[in-house]
Amino acid sequence: MRAAFSETLVRLAKADPKVLLLTGDHGYALFDDFRRECPTQYINAGIAEQNMVSMAAGLARTGFRPFVYGLSAFIPVRVLEQIKLDIAHDQLPVVLIGDGAGFVYSHLGTSHQSTEDIACTRAIPDLSVYSPADRFEVSVCMDLAYQSKAPVYLRMGKSDRGDVHTQMPQASIGALLPVQQGHTGNISFITTGSMVRTAMDIAAASYPDAAVWSVPFIKPMDVQQVAAICAQSRAVVVLEEHSVLGGLGSAIAEIAAELAPVRMLRVGVPDRFSQHCGTYEYLLKEHGLDRAAVAHRIAAFLRAA
Amino acid sequence: MPASSPTPHPTPSDRPTFDAEVLRKTVLDMAYAGSTVHIGCAFSIIELLAVLYRSHLRYPGNDPLAVERDYLVLSKGHGVMAQYACMRELGWLKDEAFSGYFADGSDLKGLSDSRIVGLEVTSGSLGHGFSVGVGMAMGAKLRGTDQKTYALVGDGEINEGPIWEGAMFAAHHALKNFMVIVDENGFQAMGRTQDVLALGSIQAKFESFGFEVLTIDGHDEEAIDQAIRQLWSSQSTLPKALIAKTVKGKGVPFMEHNNIWHYTRLNQDSYAQALAAVTGSAA
Repeated sequence: MRAAFSETLVRLAKADPKVLLLTGDHGYALFDDFRRECPTQYINAGIAEQNMVSMAAGLARTGFRPFVYGLSAFIPVRVLEQIKLDIAHDQLPVVLIGDGAGFVYSHLGTSHQSTEDIACTRAIPDLSVYSPADRFEVSVCMDLAYQSKAPVYLRMGKSDRGDVHTQMPQASIGALLPVQQGHTGNISFITTGSMVRTAMDIAAASYPDAAVWSVPFIKPMDVQQVAAICAQSRAVVVLEEHSVLGGLGSAIAEIAAELAPVRMLRVGVPDRFSQHCGTYEYLLKEHGLDRAAVAHRIAAFLRAA
Repeated sequence: MPASSPTPHPTPSDRPTFDAEVLRKTVLDMAYAGSTVHIGCAFSIIELLAVLYRSHLRYPGNDPLAVERDYLVLSKGHGVMAQYACMRELGWLKDEAFSGYFADGSDLKGLSDSRIVGLEVTSGSLGHGFSVGVGMAMGAKLRGTDQKTYALVGDGEINEGPIWEGAMFAAHHALKNFMVIVDENGFQAMGRTQDVLALGSIQAKFESFGFEVLTIDGHDEEAIDQAIRQLWSSQSTLPKALIAKTVKGKGVPFMEHNNIWHYTRLNQDSYAQALAAVTGSAA
């Protein structure tokens, strides 16, 4: 997924000299290809994220197409006001990339873990929020972000969970993408990023008739498509590696509550910080997001119906 | 015109005069009409803006959106009434915008807003515009144009960390087309800068960050003009800083050095007295 990200960025930059990559001194090996292929379009702005994001707005105002890269804990949360005032307010074509979202930096503790970024960015007007699940989606998201010429926050989480699609999906901005076809009247999984793989595994093992949808576009989201999915489902399970407050689960629940009420289980990070450190899998367990815990919760939820 | 030209900005003969007295009167009129605050911090930058608009900023075709324009970033958005007054002289804002300032449904806000044509950034949250300006200067450098970028910041504003992040970037990337102008009026929201968060020598600070710096009387138009020309004529690749020693509330004796005029609204009496002071007539 990170290779696809790098490849796409290089492709866009080679095709358009106005594309610039700004990094806040992050992405050590990730940008080797970019630096080799497009050295004049690469700017390491130093460990100074606030200046970097405001500066990206200035560059966009002079006709450039900045991609601003940082760890998700810093881009967007540390620089939320710069994104709001300097970029989103004027709909400037800046793509903000937050890498390592969720618990990727499982050993490093709270400073590097990012489970509130979707909630923070969703509420900013004119800012789109993308959350790709695999190498295909990251490529599609990057292309659509570039083509949209509008502010986008692109969230990259755990990147080595494998493909969820078998080929490049045909996607338009806002569309939910099917990764497992289901039967009307059954349950539907609606999920994003790293948890798409978890949902697919659980569905394959226990719910072969369930639909599994990947949501690469948290905002804007095709409201009618979500409403139709909810209306055709006996129950909906939303999974995300993000706080249960304000993320995908909230977005789906908001739509369902207004247009298609349905029983819904929101699986995400509980409203708490990580207590311990350990492997990524360990930290998922701590927050009840490992496959076994999620499967158990889903089974209990469906039994209680 | 090449960027290295020693006299980069000839004054078009058809430019307005940007008379400081007229600008202050406009600010008073709109502040009274809108019953607004932030008069003192508008008055401290009147001469700076007058000189910039009169003699330095290039707007081809008098078009505030001209692609080749110079950029003026009012990072200290609280002084926006002074900029509105200049934009009125340029014909970019109509008289109704002033008489109807702060009316329900009106456009001109109490802080700089980039959606107003002629204002480059949305400010008021401090420490943003400087960095946006650095980005604009970087953009002009990458595009190979001779556009200049001016970022006007308050001395209180430079409490903000991003100012110094941007200063490092501007120096590291040799943005000789970038000039920060510091309105050193000695006050910030709650009191004297010396008492709130002492700044020491602003000149020394910017010099240590790799800027070429001059300090002048920010109400002496000739000195401002000469300093700007001198900085641009430098052969160095350093970004520029102009430290303008100013008086908050300049032009109205009862407002000068009195921070209450960051917050106070004009009434009929104080409006008449202030108007008399700036126009030199008896109250």
